[in-house]
Amino acid sequence: MTEQITNIRIGIYLCDCDGKVSKKVDLQKAKTVIQSQAGFDYIRATDVLCGKLEQEKIGAEIDKYSLNRLVIAACVDPFIMRQFLQLADEKGINRYNVEFVDLGAVDSTEAAVAAANNALGKMHLRAEIGYEELAVTPDVLVIGAGSEAAAAATAIAKSQPVVQIDNVGTRVIGLDGFPGAFTVRLLENGQAVKKDFGAIVLALGAVPQYDKSKYGGIELGADILSLSQFINSGKDYAGKKVSFALGMADEDSLLSFAAVLKAALDLKGEGASEVNVLYEDMKVCADGLEQDYELARKKGVNFLKYTGEFQIVRFPSGIAFKYREPFLSDPVKIVADYIVLAEDFVPAAGTLELAEILDIRTGPGGFFQKDNVHFLPIRSNRAGIFFVGSCHGPIHGTDLYNEIEAVLAEVSAFAKGKVSVPSLQPKVDAEKCAVCLTCYRCCPHHAIEIVHGEEYNNMYYSAARMNPLACQRCGVCAAECPGKAIQLPLYSDQEILFEVKQPARIVAYACENSGFLASEFAKTLDPELQKDLQIVEVPCSGKIDIIYLLKALENGADGVMLCVCHKENCKFVWGNDRAEQRKERTQKILNQIGLGERIDFVHVAANQGNQFNTAVKAMAEKIRQSGTNPGKVVK
Amino acid sequence: MIVAEGKPVEKILEMIAPYKKVLIAGCRGCVTVCLTGGEKEVGILASQIRMARSKDGNALEVLEQTEERQCDAEYNAKFLENVGKVDAIVSLACGIGIQYLGEKYPLTPIYPGVNTLMLGANIDVGRWEERCFACGDCVLDKTGGICPIARCSKSLLNGPCGGSQFGKCEVSAPVKEDIPCGWQLIYDRLSALGQLDKMSEIIPAKNWLRAKGPRTYVREDLTLDRS
Ligand code: SF4
Ligand code: SF4
Ligand code: SF4
Ligand code: SF4
Repeated sequence: MTEQITNIRIGIYLCDCDGKVSKKVDLQKAKTVIQSQAGFDYIRATDVLCGKLEQEKIGAEIDKYSLNRLVIAACVDPFIMRQFLQLADEKGINRYNVEFVDLGAVDSTEAAVAAANNALGKMHLRAEIGYEELAVTPDVLVIGAGSEAAAAATAIAKSQPVVQIDNVGTRVIGLDGFPGAFTVRLLENGQAVKKDFGAIVLALGAVPQYDKSKYGGIELGADILSLSQFINSGKDYAGKKVSFALGMADEDSLLSFAAVLKAALDLKGEGASEVNVLYEDMKVCADGLEQDYELARKKGVNFLKYTGEFQIVRFPSGIAFKYREPFLSDPVKIVADYIVLAEDFVPAAGTLELAEILDIRTGPGGFFQKDNVHFLPIRSNRAGIFFVGSCHGPIHGTDLYNEIEAVLAEVSAFAKGKVSVPSLQPKVDAEKCAVCLTCYRCCPHHAIEIVHGEEYNNMYYSAARMNPLACQRCGVCAAECPGKAIQLPLYSDQEILFEVKQPARIVAYACENSGFLASEFAKTLDPELQKDLQIVEVPCSGKIDIIYLLKALENGADGVMLCVCHKENCKFVWGNDRAEQRKERTQKILNQIGLGERIDFVHVAANQGNQFNTAVKAMAEKIRQSGTNPGKVVK
Repeated sequence: MIVAEGKPVEKILEMIAPYKKVLIAGCRGCVTVCLTGGEKEVGILASQIRMARSKDGNALEVLEQTEERQCDAEYNAKFLENVGKVDAIVSLACGIGIQYLGEKYPLTPIYPGVNTLMLGANIDVGRWEERCFACGDCVLDKTGGICPIARCSKSLLNGPCGGSQFGKCEVSAPVKEDIPCGWQLIYDRLSALGQLDKMSEIIPAKNWLRAKGPRTYVREDLTLDRS
């Protein structure tokens, strides 16, 4: 829970990083300026802050001056951060009460003072982050009937109880609750029952489906089989000629390649007289497939490369493939007793229905999960619900085992029946909550519930509440709330608006997954461009409130940028889309009062420093044309 | 819930042109729920009009305050201190709230920051649809639970009219989106309920007096004698 901030005692340390900083910054002067202001309880500048002796000294100072919040101004790198967070832990200082200022990135004494003041200001406004001890259900529900589900269930059963259902005989009809405490509503032999689970693993698999349109309309029959028909046929193929065709269906799937290699090897073992595999591109990039391929060749399987499309021709005594070989001018004909055609893999029946019931998104081909670089393969948009295997796109072999390992690592966090998590989810001020459901509807992660009770001090005795295990801290809810009832810890409105009290000419609100990283990179490419630019980091562009955009302008910025992840690639599903809608509205608000074009919306990935700089230049040009912001409010 | 939309800011700027200091009063009731007049919209409008007036070289001071409901005097009392500091109030509550807050402070001019639109349901984030006209004489029992007054463009009690085409109302054309024919909806619902016979029942003319204001509603069993 957010605790009242009482008795804040801040220590600020300035480090020269062995003379590196003083090349651009007069550290003593910076210290003197900061010292002349209020806002801290102890200040010290030193040459090398990260030395062991220094750490001991700071430890002693923390005790002596009863410091409970730290601002570390130094050449910040992951090593320094780790070191100070560790020191904070040792000294009982909450790690969320340590703020870093990167002096390596500033190029003047004034900039160093401004950055330090910014950090000090935020430290004063930051709510105390507590930890929550939560009871969780260790039991895991695995949904799926195939070998993938069985493998997942067996692996998880080693650490905690598992229930596996096929979603046919026993079907999921509803889901309530949050990770660690899901209540799954099931239809068990026609009977509705409720069961509690901590986590859910979806392993529905994929199923092969013959699509004749991929093969120029060829119908299956007695001697033309689909791959799965062939595998399940149980026939004796001794003395027969069998030809497989790969590459017309399901181009990306390794599953067909693996199945064909295995079938070809088996056929050779059973004494088939001739085994041919027609392929366009051989795909063996999964564990073991290359060996299978080598082995099959050794055993006499023929691998025949074709180009373009092949045909199947029928003549009185049998059938044959007719195809073009890339290096021969005449078409080649391969006669066979049986022709086997690879199929597409499609999501198992019930995938879509289950997605709707669980509020999980589906993506390309109707498989679970959207195509988004930020999504980890096994994670869904809801915490506590995971994917394993081909239900989120056909996978093969070791990939499956890697996924199971990864899921195991996630679900085993609940194995002990309790977890402790920092209370970083947004907090709702019940007095301001109108129970409008906007946050509930806008949360991409299904992390919000409406709770009721005497303690919720409004006319509904109700308020929205964010679940600490389900919430992924995007801040979308906070930016949408019409009552301003929601604050996201570490990124409260107060903290963010503090940063734009005296804004630079251009304020860029930047998503920490893309725009912010791009801006860091951009700095190194064109330091000059940074002069008039101020970056304000947000956890997701979906956190960028219209008020943030307006306040930056009201306080004197000439232009505002929103630097967000590429379309369909927001780590938090639709944060960037919400940001774009807010940008549109804000620009309208400015147009209504004649302030001109002053907002830019930029899709940028973490590695696109150049694009970031181009966007900054475009913004600068835009405000050059629109002129100085006449809407600045002089206080 | 009462649904309102923000008034165009030019209008608001016009209303407050003579003033140097105004209070924007929000309401945590319906207009917060319909995303039009809660604390957030109060902040947005305040920022916008501050900038607009700065641009015109005629600085405006804007106070912001949002309380539980502007349709209750006790909550309106909380605005006292800020009302005392300003030349005028812009209220973002519905028409009820705007008037009722104005009644509380009769010497301070109050202006509407919203257009009050309808009694509607919130279909999803950002979409509201009218469902009731507050006619004072409900006929939902006869119409499969679908209101002919609010959902038939002509408020026909015995519909549909000849303008019902493929389930859409002929009035659709001049407006932005297709309007479902209210009587088609009634027909569909009645047929789903197996109550189609109700379609042939003639609903007699309503007592429209009950729909006409000014209306007052008093419950003698509840009124308090404060003497
Ligand atoms: S959006 Fe705000 S007012 Fe609406 S339910 Fe959520 S917290 Fe409450
Ligand atoms: S921060 Fe994001 S994930 Fe968490 S409750 Fe809000 S909208 Fe949902
Ligand atoms: S004043 Fe209007 S908007 Fe506010 S609660 Fe009352 S009826 Fe709803
Ligand atoms: S009949 Fe009258 S009271 Fe009933 S829903 Fe329609 S308008 Fe409202």
